[in-house]
Amino acid sequence: MADKILDVKDLVVQFNTDRGVVTAVDGVSLEVFKGRTLGIVGESGSGKSVTALAIMRLIPHPPGIIKNGVVKFRGESLLDKEMVDMRKIRGNKISMIFQEPMTSLNPVFTIGNQIEEVLELHQSDLSKEQRHKKAVEMLSLVGIPSPEKRIKEYPHQLSGGMRQRVMIAISLACEPDILIADEPTTALDVTIQAQILELMKKLQKELGMGIIMITHDLGVVAETCDDVAVMYCGKIVEQGTADHIFNNPRHPYTKGLLESIPSFDATTGDAKDRLPTIEGMVPSLFELPEGCSFQDRCSKCISQCRQPQEVLALKEVATGHAVSCFNHY
Amino acid sequence: MNIYSYTFRRLLYVIPVVLGVSLIIFVLFNLVAGDPTAILLGKHASASQMAELRHELGLDRPWLAQYFDVVRSAFTFDFGRSWSTKQEIFEMIKAGAIPSLTLSFPAFFLSTVLAIIVSLFVSFYRGGVVDRLVVFVCVALMSISSLAYILFGQWFLAYYLGLFEISGYESGFPYFIPYVLLPIIIWMVLSVGPDVRFYRTVVLDEIYQDYVRTARSKGLSERVILFKHVLKNAMIPIITYVLIKIPFLILGALLLESFFSIPGLGSITLNAINGSDFPVIKAMTILSSIAYILFSVFTDVMYCLVDPRVRLK
Repeated sequence: MADKILDVKDLVVQFNTDRGVVTAVDGVSLEVFKGRTLGIVGESGSGKSVTALAIMRLIPHPPGIIKNGVVKFRGESLLDKEMVDMRKIRGNKISMIFQEPMTSLNPVFTIGNQIEEVLELHQSDLSKEQRHKKAVEMLSLVGIPSPEKRIKEYPHQLSGGMRQRVMIAISLACEPDILIADEPTTALDVTIQAQILELMKKLQKELGMGIIMITHDLGVVAETCDDVAVMYCGKIVEQGTADHIFNNPRHPYTKGLLESIPSFDATTGDAKDRLPTIEGMVPSLFELPEGCSFQDRCSKCISQCRQPQEVLALKEVATGHAVSCFNHY
Repeated sequence: MNIYSYTFRRLLYVIPVVLGVSLIIFVLFNLVAGDPTAILLGKHASASQMAELRHELGLDRPWLAQYFDVVRSAFTFDFGRSWSTKQEIFEMIKAGAIPSLTLSFPAFFLSTVLAIIVSLFVSFYRGGVVDRLVVFVCVALMSISSLAYILFGQWFLAYYLGLFEISGYESGFPYFIPYVLLPIIIWMVLSVGPDVRFYRTVVLDEIYQDYVRTARSKGLSERVILFKHVLKNAMIPIITYVLIKIPFLILGALLLESFFSIPGLGSITLNAINGSDFPVIKAMTILSSIAYILFSVFTDVMYCLVDPRVRLK
């Protein structure tokens, strides 16, 4: 397969709270390949964002702590790096865009200033003029009209979609190997959403970076991802190519998610049919049941699922397709 | 609209505000306060004596004329003479301003800079032992009466240990320094508690903003994030807090000046109040109102410079 640039193994992230220790990410393993997009799908609180922040080592500490695991970027262990060296990777080799385009830019600096800042930090051989030129180039690359003029503007003068484009420009300015996109389109309306995803796909082709696309929107996954990891309560419950996940889902949770997508299929669509949902609620991370975390919402639950297990390990059911469920081994 | 025409327009708005303030001052002093001649001449004054004095002080003229006197003094700073010392009030204020400023300016400047640095420092170690300890000390310092600091400083530090002058003042650089040292230290102790707590809240508000996370994800160091990204955003509430205090410096430190016998504006004001010296009280009221108005204009102009979201419309 293609060039593996990021290898995450058995990542465990915990938070110390007043109510006790919470394991937000529990033994997650991921791989990211050059030029491919890995989607991490899951509900709020499933540990998607925490996984991404842990890769960047941006987990606020205290209260968060990376308890266990290995994060290897091009063979180098990121978790063993000194902070000084880690900062040379952030924004340079691995960069990140966030869910909140409205607030993710600093309101009191011009967008040009904020793009040039990351260049100044990581490409110190560039002169001031070169940095400015590069910033203008980046703005036109992400499709901002009249970049020469826009570069002097402040974030509040731009719309949400434009701000997210600026964020992408900042994150790609140093041509990173990996772009982590944490729900990049959630706060945007649907047309802008499509434009941003299209832009990311186009830039991926041009620059060849690997993307981690974190989302709860299976539509976004279908549109952009090559590989998918489905997360539930801090664990990956199913992992495979997009084809595996969409056409041959094996975990009851993945199936449930796919069934609850509204469809506009005119031949089978019936107005009286109610949209299927996954019954119940995500259990609190403080009160996870023993055994499979999904047991209380699962229609296929058998007694084995409620037995305490060391690890309900992901098992390969086909090449490159793994599921952590007793029913579908 | 650029910053200059904005400033000019805001300064024009000052004129009606000063007229309004003059009216309030006039009503308070000339109408509400009653007849000052009764206080000045004592209980046994005859009616003719009082009428004579009233004429002498110009209090028998029409109200409109007296109001215009207040307005005129607000623009020309010609406040007339003190009733008790017969000195030109403007000259008194000029003489009092220097001792006041030698105390209040260094004290205010040092305590503000100290408080901002301490608050950035504790925000960096937020939630830790240092942070908790500093907040505890701040609350403890705030909870003690200012009189306790003054008496402790004068008796223990100045009298018993002989580290400072107990009170008094000598004009001219560098002679005043030993006299203002202790009041400056007490001023700093008094203001550092509330200041650190305020600035710490402001900085912590900013530190959890999304743009800070972005800055971290760009690979910036915590130092750059704190001093560049956070501080510039925090400047907006800090400017308000700092600038709004400056007009009160004009009045001088009332308590400190009188305890340390510093012949500043604070002492002048207190003496005037004790002696019912209405023109001096009026002059100080007018001056501090004008200072307050001008500094609020200045604050607004500063907002425009610091925060690009403030539109000049």
